[in-house]
Amino acid sequence: MVNITVRNVTKIFKSRNKTVVALNNVDLEVKSGEAFGIVGPSGAGKTTLMRIIAGLEVPTSGEVLFDNEVVSKDGKIIVPPEKRNIGMVFQNWALYPNMTAFDNIAFPLRNQKLPEDEIRKKVKEIAEILGISHVLSHYPRELSGGQQQRVALARALVKSPSVLILDEPFSNLDASLRDGARALVKKLQETFKVTTLIVSHDPADIFSIATRVAVLVDGKIEQMGSPLDVYNNPKSLTIAKLVGEIITGKGVVTTVNGKKVIKYGNLIFQPAFEIPANDSEEVEFGLRPEDVKISKDEKLEGFEFAGKVIVKVSSYSGGAFRIVVSPIENEEIELYALSDIPMKVGDVVNFFYRKDKLKVFPVK
Amino acid sequence: MASRVGPIAKAVLKELVIIILVVIWLIPVYAIIINGFKSNVAVVSTNALMPALPFTLTAYQEAWSALAQPLLNSLALVLPVSILSSILGALGAYYLNNLTRSFNPRDRIIGNIIFALVSLGTFLPYQATLMPLAILMVTINLLGTYWGLLIAYLTFYLPTGALLMSIFIATVPSYLIEAAKMDGASDFNIFFKVVLPVTMPGFISTLIFIIIESWNNFFLPLVLVTNPNSALVSVAVRYFTGGFGTLYNASFAAAVLASLIPLVIFIFLGRYFIRGLLALGGGAKI
Repeated sequence: MVNITVRNVTKIFKSRNKTVVALNNVDLEVKSGEAFGIVGPSGAGKTTLMRIIAGLEVPTSGEVLFDNEVVSKDGKIIVPPEKRNIGMVFQNWALYPNMTAFDNIAFPLRNQKLPEDEIRKKVKEIAEILGISHVLSHYPRELSGGQQQRVALARALVKSPSVLILDEPFSNLDASLRDGARALVKKLQETFKVTTLIVSHDPADIFSIATRVAVLVDGKIEQMGSPLDVYNNPKSLTIAKLVGEIITGKGVVTTVNGKKVIKYGNLIFQPAFEIPANDSEEVEFGLRPEDVKISKDEKLEGFEFAGKVIVKVSSYSGGAFRIVVSPIENEEIELYALSDIPMKVGDVVNFFYRKDKLKVFPVK
Repeated sequence: MASRVGPIAKAVLKELVIIILVVIWLIPVYAIIINGFKSNVAVVSTNALMPALPFTLTAYQEAWSALAQPLLNSLALVLPVSILSSILGALGAYYLNNLTRSFNPRDRIIGNIIFALVSLGTFLPYQATLMPLAILMVTINLLGTYWGLLIAYLTFYLPTGALLMSIFIATVPSYLIEAAKMDGASDFNIFFKVVLPVTMPGFISTLIFIIIESWNNFFLPLVLVTNPNSALVSVAVRYFTGGFGTLYNASFAAAVLASLIPLVIFIFLGRYFIRGLLALGGGAKI
């Protein structure tokens, strides 16, 4: 398997009257056999970075190495994409409409000029693993979305690639099929131990597949680490939002009993660390939904009491009741919390949070 | 009631319009066919739309005996010209397409220049280049030969093929070409296994277009064919018109015979022609 090194890569797109810096001095290392995720908002340069690694795009400056071999450098492709032994799953799968599923999967092998019986054996093997043996004689237009995606995966894996690149591989799938597809990709990645690069804007893809993740914002890598680490300790609010749901509000720093706290209406939040801001400065705080609870109880184990809130809206989504609340002294501002029971609008309840999970960001 | 009559009336009106248009279009075709079955006197003395009475095959026999050789000559020229122009044009178009999608700005400029030259080759009225072409043929000793004619036809129809195919190839989504690259395909394989099959309706449209255009080309064979035995059908149909008179019935019969081959080709491949034109309008959904 292959180690991918991206060194100081900058990509500038120039058109007649516009210059766009798509990537700005990106440094990255994907270790051999690792599943690496790239997450970022749309337009952050994820796809550009992936295409540069694949060899479909050329870096304006900087270099890309596969193991110790330079494959692209300073505006030049040194090893063309067809020589990089990359298996790639495109966002829309890019199956050849004029070929059956079998021929689609066999295409990379035929390009290697393998003997036909060996091709047949390999295609059958991979089709077996992916559960598409029964549709091999069908054309892409006769396949369901899930089957098309499996054919695309089979085509990418059949040639035993050194690198597997997945570009938003699940975004064209129905939500109900996604979890199965993610599990399948994870299993394949672990079976084949292939260096994998997955690009997605959906944190669920990254969490389920990647062991390390880079967060790309405006062409720069803002944070890198394990998905859980990035989730728990995001460097900025943008990153926090990219890797999951977050409940946020703008509060004012105040000193109470010699300790800095954040006041949000009548709610008081106190992180486990010293707030890096002066008194009466505004800061943004963030809490993951699982770190917030509202309850009529006075005390909750493991949670800190922030203050009393009034229920404004109670709705249901995704297995929990979503309750929008306001601090009782200021109904202009809002927060939300998830609850396993519905709550009555107008009820006054207690707002709890996990102190060690409270995140504080400067206001931009 | 009104709501039920409405759509029916509309449909009837639509059909009526279509029928009228078809009749208008068919009248000259009908006249050409029917007058070929008349005697030459009958053609000039009866109404053009009158049925052929008495019915005679003389004109067709006459036309056939004069056109059999030119028909073969035309076929022997038009088939290689159109197939070569379409395939080589498509290959050229794919190369141009690669140039214009290249990372290298120099490639893109070269691509644009070549494209402009190809367009010029297509849009230049060939009558304007006829004399230089004839002189060239004399110089390279190919005037009046099959090869000279083939080269002359290719000079004009190869750019047409390239231009038309570059329009069709531009509709091939770039991710398909990229996917083929990632799958390790050579440019040759990308073209023949992916690009050409995906643009097949466009390719066949191009082929039909060139067959019809080169079949009907009059000026090139008029100037470049020197031996009457090598005459092409587009020139041969004029044999029935002379300085002192015209064999109208034979002219009509010759016109019918001369259009039969392109007509048969169009009937067999016409559905691709329409699909190709649709692909031009609707993106890459083929």
